[in-house]
Amino acid sequence: MKNTVIVTGATSGIGFAVCEALLGAGYPVIGVGRSLEHCHKAQTAMTKGHPDTKLRFITADLLHQREVLRAAREIERAVSDFGGGIHALINNAGCVRSRYMTTEEGYEQQFALNHLAGFLLTQELLPLIKRDNAAVINTSSTSHKMMQMNWNDLMYQKRYRPLYAYKQTKLCNMLHVYHLRASGVRACGIDPGLVRTEIGNKNTSGIVNAVWNIRMKQGISPEQSAKIYLSLCENGFPGIYYGIGKTGTNKAGAIACELRTNRQINSSNAERLYEVSMKLCGLTNPIKSKKGIENNECTDNRGKWWLRQSNGNGLREARI
Amino acid sequence: MAMDCARRGYNLFLTDMNEDLLDAISVGIRRKYDVDVQSMACDLTDSKAVNDMLSKAQQRGIFFDMLLNVAGIDCEGGFTERTAFEIKTMIGINIEATINLTHEMLDRRCESVQIEQKPIYIVFVSSLASLYPMPLKACYAASKRFLYDFAYALGRELEPQGVYVTTLCPGGLATNEESIEAIAAQGFWGTLTTNAVEKIARRTISKVLRGKRTYIPGIINCTLGMASKLLPRALIAWTIQRRWQKARLQRATVVLSS
Repeated sequence: MKNTVIVTGATSGIGFAVCEALLGAGYPVIGVGRSLEHCHKAQTAMTKGHPDTKLRFITADLLHQREVLRAAREIERAVSDFGGGIHALINNAGCVRSRYMTTEEGYEQQFALNHLAGFLLTQELLPLIKRDNAAVINTSSTSHKMMQMNWNDLMYQKRYRPLYAYKQTKLCNMLHVYHLRASGVRACGIDPGLVRTEIGNKNTSGIVNAVWNIRMKQGISPEQSAKIYLSLCENGFPGIYYGIGKTGTNKAGAIACELRTNRQINSSNAERLYEVSMKLCGLTNPIKSKKGIENNECTDNRGKWWLRQSNGNGLREARI
Repeated sequence: MAMDCARRGYNLFLTDMNEDLLDAISVGIRRKYDVDVQSMACDLTDSKAVNDMLSKAQQRGIFFDMLLNVAGIDCEGGFTERTAFEIKTMIGINIEATINLTHEMLDRRCESVQIEQKPIYIVFVSSLASLYPMPLKACYAASKRFLYDFAYALGRELEPQGVYVTTLCPGGLATNEESIEAIAAQGFWGTLTTNAVEKIARRTISKVLRGKRTYIPGIINCTLGMASKLLPRALIAWTIQRRWQKARLQRATVVLSS
């Protein structure tokens, strides 16, 4: 029996198509979606197409870290119910915002969902991922190229530039992949290409909506992109970044080709982002709070393990 | 604004009715800026609860340099379309809660020996709506008008004692999905009068520290604010009524079609 694949943002767009492709290939799938209604709809549609496969949907709004933590626990339970282990974790959930909006924690939403949610979920499932030698696949984008990390204002709080904020999160996805590979986890980023999804029309307004509606018409279908994910899941991957090749493969059917990445994807940036992300996720900085998320993490055995690991890697000491 | 204060290095004391959200934002700010953030859930319309909260804060050795009165709710719709309870709740939060907290805090300041040592800054978040008579949002606009006039007068009254009061009058703010929908339904004018949350937060704190009394963000909004003083009130009310009616119709159409 094949191991389970976990897909976030699985109720629509690329995530939905990837789930269908994986179910077709016989993988048990755990999908994560934001809306209960959409999860039901997606599950019904997928079960109809693939009646004999193992499929479970978990409803969680990954914008908020408490929901990511809950989703991770539910995923662990679902994996154990399915039997076997994890084959791959596909961090696909993402969003586009045209205005500065924040999560419950006060983090900018694109940064929180596109990068931090995937980062935290991966960290939470890391023991399982390492145990099963599973792959971590991040949905990045070619827009991460020609972009640098805005270290002075990671969340564009001083002056919000929606497009730059989005591109930076995609660069973060690649830096996350780089760091995972350096620590011995099989990981890669994927450029799904320009895909006809509704990402640019959810909670956006004005010019972002208009530009996306025009661009979307030139895009490929989510099913074509899904073939890259399936190909990498089935055949493995030596490289760090894959997408649809340039030589006419768009129309002939997507085949995963290794692509060149940004020079910004290097060990110093990856290490710095890792350190910042660990802190923002409360994994290295369990301080003063008398109640709330942090203390739970501190008293958790796995939390202590992370604390030791991060100190062992020469990262900033936890401030207690 | 809490985020911006933390960015500037202020320690924070946060209060809200929702304890879970308070915990989450406290954790987020602490992780992001390494400042001390304390929080306490409180119903600000209950003066006894406010008194208790500030007593506990005092026991913890907290003294306040700045008070940001941001808590407030909108109550859209015609006067008769809303229940008296809904309207009273809005007035309770927008006005009563603000008065409770401000009064309690200033009382404690007078009692303490620190009176001459440090200035204290108080910010009231009013609205662009406070500048006009606003059909279909009559109570909301009036509650914000109260804050606008009250803040200005209070600033004059207490300036000799080192209390500096600023009123913020922003246009639309896209803070969540509902507000984005509401702004979109207002069409061109909605987009034009909308302010960027992050910019307003940053600039408001800067202006507060410079002692500015009123801050209307954006050139368009400033012009509209000026126009409110020059144009006849009847014309303003008529124009606004047409605008809100159109927006309501637009929103109803969107809801029906979806």
